[in-house]
Amino acid sequence: MRSAVPLVAALVGLLLTAIPVKAHHEILAKFDDNKRVMLSGVVTLVDWRNPHVHVFMNVREGNSQAANWAIELESPIDLQQSGWTRESLQPGDPITVQGIAARDGSRQLWRNSIVLTATGRQVLTFSPKTPAMPLSARPVPRWPDRQPRLGSLPGGTEGYWAFPTATALVENGVNVAMDVYGLLRNVSDAAKVAPLQPWALALYVERQRRLLRDDPMFLNCKPPGGPRQFQLPYGVQFVEDRDRQRVFVLIGSGNNNFRIIYTDGRGHVGQIGGDDDNPLYYGRSVAKWEGDTFVADTRGFNEDFWFTNGGLPHTEQLRLIERFTRTDFDTLKYEVTIEDAGAYTRPWSSTATLRWVAGEEMPRHLCQDNRP
Amino acid sequence: MRSLIPVLVLSLWCLAGPSPAAAQEGHPLKGSWLGTWAGNTSHDPDIVLVLNWDGKAITGTINPGTDNIAIKNATLNPDGWVVHFEADAKDKSGRALTYTVDGKIENLHIPNRSVTGTWKNQRESGVFRMTRQ
Repeated sequence: MRSAVPLVAALVGLLLTAIPVKAHHEILAKFDDNKRVMLSGVVTLVDWRNPHVHVFMNVREGNSQAANWAIELESPIDLQQSGWTRESLQPGDPITVQGIAARDGSRQLWRNSIVLTATGRQVLTFSPKTPAMPLSARPVPRWPDRQPRLGSLPGGTEGYWAFPTATALVENGVNVAMDVYGLLRNVSDAAKVAPLQPWALALYVERQRRLLRDDPMFLNCKPPGGPRQFQLPYGVQFVEDRDRQRVFVLIGSGNNNFRIIYTDGRGHVGQIGGDDDNPLYYGRSVAKWEGDTFVADTRGFNEDFWFTNGGLPHTEQLRLIERFTRTDFDTLKYEVTIEDAGAYTRPWSSTATLRWVAGEEMPRHLCQDNRP
Repeated sequence: MRSLIPVLVLSLWCLAGPSPAAAQEGHPLKGSWLGTWAGNTSHDPDIVLVLNWDGKAITGTINPGTDNIAIKNATLNPDGWVVHFEADAKDKSGRALTYTVDGKIENLHIPNRSVTGTWKNQRESGVFRMTRQ
């Protein structure tokens, strides 16, 4: 009976149809979810590094010499958050892995499950969970002058904003199916996503058909300017520097950059042409409070990056009006209006909410470590 | 000493290595391009183009600073990424020439994408190619 345990575990694994849910780039660009594979073998190495952990294993087929396979997993941050440690698997452990194979035919697999062959115990249970909401909504934290705080309380617990309800821009009111990277389930929905000019629609479709593999944030570590900074897995922090009249947005993903939103009443004149201290990946943001909503007006973007997951194009004419409203302690509403006569036929808007992750420092994940 | 100059130039070229094109994720034609209109005896076969997109029209200049040939009637058909533009110029004797260039974008997804096709004027024609820098 005991000998059936691994088999049952493997079958259960095969029945699982888990599609990768969280990684630093579109997994389906590298792996083919139509090429499902199950491997049994022995762990030779656990490479615990950004951006993705790799487990190497020797797999023997029949009497042939063992072949070494690379099993790709989520990032160390994601795995640690799911209870995995670098000791969860050791060289010499017999394992059974089921996953999806690399498109290029190399011996690489994106894991869906990893089971200890001897015991049938599943060692990888990756389950990103949105933090539970308190039973009753906590009030919005405020400064002494009653202005809402966007960041942590001084002397209180640390925290950051993450778990966006939308991880790619889609015009409000439009319902299209896409994965967390903004890859459309049906590319024929592309024209519904936003009011794109013909060239921009064709470019968006091209990027979608290429499974987002040309994403400059992944390939070249280009910063996640625009709404994309709020769509990434490791969240953002707001640091409100009231003395200097500016808000810093610290970004946990991409190249761990930051963005400055000026609140000192300055205008845009003379700031949008580009200069040495204005690299334009984040544009120039000026903001003011309208009631309890922080409204940022950003212009002066370059065209060297994708401003949203999914690869919607933009031009230097891009202007963003972003409205941040902390509706309760744990919820931040993010509304953005996109004006870009270079790429879109009219202004359009998109909305998401982010969740407060209390008591934790923002994870740090550097795209400088990226490798295909 | 003069015989060393080509060696020095070659050495510097090798040391410099390839110059990566600046990223361009917006309109695919926007940017600076180096190219050739092979067989052109009226103008240097090596050309520089600077192209722009204002949201409605593609504008640009061939050989800015020297020939300063403004392009006109430029279009990009995203169905096949077909490029067309025209340009009024003068040959070395001052006679008017109108160039017509038709091509297609290759390697759309990389910054140093290319446009290949044909060029013609009233007297000559040939192969056209330009690569984004």
